[in-house]
Amino acid sequence: MASHNPSSEKSGDGRLAILLLALPLGLLAATLVLPMISAVNISLHDIRVIGSEGAFSGFDNYARVLTAGTFWHALGVSAVWVVGNAIVQTVLAVLAALVLNEKFPGVRVARVWIILTWIIPTVVVVIIWRWMLSPSGGMINPFLISIGLIDRPVGFFSSGPMALASLILINSWRWFPFVAIMLLAGLQRIPADLYEAAAVDGAGPIARFRAITWPLLQPTLLVLTVMGTLLSFNVFDIIWLLTAGGPAGASETLPVLIYETAFKAYRMGDAAAMSVVASLMMIGLAILLIDRLAPKEAAK
Amino acid sequence: MKRGLPGTLVLVLSLVVLAALVLLPMWLVGSSSFKLPREIISRFPTFFPHSFTLQHYQKLLGTSAFPTYFLNSTIVAASSAFVTVLLATLAGYAFFRLEFRGRDFLYRLIMVAYAFPSIVILIPIYLMFAKVGLIDTDLALVIVNVTFALPFSIWMMRTFFASLPRELEEAAAIDGASRLATALYILVPLLRPGIAAIAIFAFVSSWTEYLFASVLIISDAKRTLPVGLSGIIGQYQIDWGLLLAGASLSILPVVVFFAFVGRWFVAGLTEGAVK
Repeated sequence: MASHNPSSEKSGDGRLAILLLALPLGLLAATLVLPMISAVNISLHDIRVIGSEGAFSGFDNYARVLTAGTFWHALGVSAVWVVGNAIVQTVLAVLAALVLNEKFPGVRVARVWIILTWIIPTVVVVIIWRWMLSPSGGMINPFLISIGLIDRPVGFFSSGPMALASLILINSWRWFPFVAIMLLAGLQRIPADLYEAAAVDGAGPIARFRAITWPLLQPTLLVLTVMGTLLSFNVFDIIWLLTAGGPAGASETLPVLIYETAFKAYRMGDAAAMSVVASLMMIGLAILLIDRLAPKEAAK
Repeated sequence: MKRGLPGTLVLVLSLVVLAALVLLPMWLVGSSSFKLPREIISRFPTFFPHSFTLQHYQKLLGTSAFPTYFLNSTIVAASSAFVTVLLATLAGYAFFRLEFRGRDFLYRLIMVAYAFPSIVILIPIYLMFAKVGLIDTDLALVIVNVTFALPFSIWMMRTFFASLPRELEEAAAIDGASRLATALYILVPLLRPGIAAIAIFAFVSSWTEYLFASVLIISDAKRTLPVGLSGIIGQYQIDWGLLLAGASLSILPVVVFFAFVGRWFVAGLTEGAVK
């Protein structure tokens, strides 16, 4: 952990640090740490009316939530959602990063503006794709028919698996440029002379990718995969606004279930219990990530 | 390295696909917002509008609450960006310029904050804010937006602090400048790219935020764009022209902002790409 001994601390730095960090850390303590503790507290109470304290109910909420099928169903949907997003985004992002790593006129502009899909509001992403995928008036159906992929209009959100797949593709569309930019940073750290040496030895583009790019990109990919897992687990608005978890719960991920339990069914205690369990899983993942990365950073 | 003809062809083709994937939907939304309803839902979309109308914008700005949502979002996003920049710069100086015990531990702790599923703090925040009377206020949204933007902003600051040679500050110190003067007159001006990167990140995340805004804001007059616009989706018999006009106007501010400082944001993401 802290590699430096106390003697390396410059005089006065400690006091100044406290002064500078008081506001940022105070805010995060009040809006992240305190609510986390409060979530645990809420999860142990039987809260039905907002504003009331509710009776202490021990682990009743946990027992009820964890024995109901809905939690495990949502956890399963979340797992499919996270893995699906990871795969689609990684493939698209690697391809996009490889293209952007080339030299061509306008490459600087392309590297900035590719992220456009990420900076527009999610509600706009929702409007765009609802419009384009709409069975009446959308252009994707006629396009797919004209190239012969399908022979009649498809309801992209009408069946369970289709809805989940459509959502994964839409969310990946929004996120892959962001991942691509991060990957590009990893690509640019690979020394160019490695490629030149390989080219001299007669390695073609595919051989160079397999022998140099792919292995050297692994550390970056690992970080992005775990970061992406945490980020995509959290996604709520795209799913809520496009399918609201439907049809018949097919796209009901944990955040959607928690939101519904808390703000549609007003069962705050149950929702808090589910969110605490979900957080423990996510924090476990994050600690795993940090542990795997810390030694490498120290070695540099 | 030289590219042969096949290589060039593959590159051009991939660029076309990439551009179509990212830009085509945006273009269609923007251009279709000027089309008559019949042309909007034509089976094969026209690249340039054949018909031209401002009726969707007139309806959006004249009869819907869109202007109110837009104003609310601007106030909330600008305030969130301002506060985030301020706090991230303070924290950045502490983390990347000072030596103190527990620094690495605190830094990592803040990064772990990103692992918190935001949904877990939604319920407690709602109950806490209800207790102190923050429900249905802009301040509630600003607090939440800053909380979510801050850890990532501090992380991005690392790149920009690393790009500034410490010798500059040391030279200023030798010349007798106080620490505060050095920070204000030397560091802050040189940190402008980093500040721009954080500002746009915080602005964009606030501009987009839906989950907390849907719960913490109750009255229609206080609603921000994402929640307001999603209400318009359901409120009318789907009126694509109206929605596309709304979508276009919602994209506009972030695109304009991005046109000016977008490259610094991307530099902040790519760590070390700063000149």
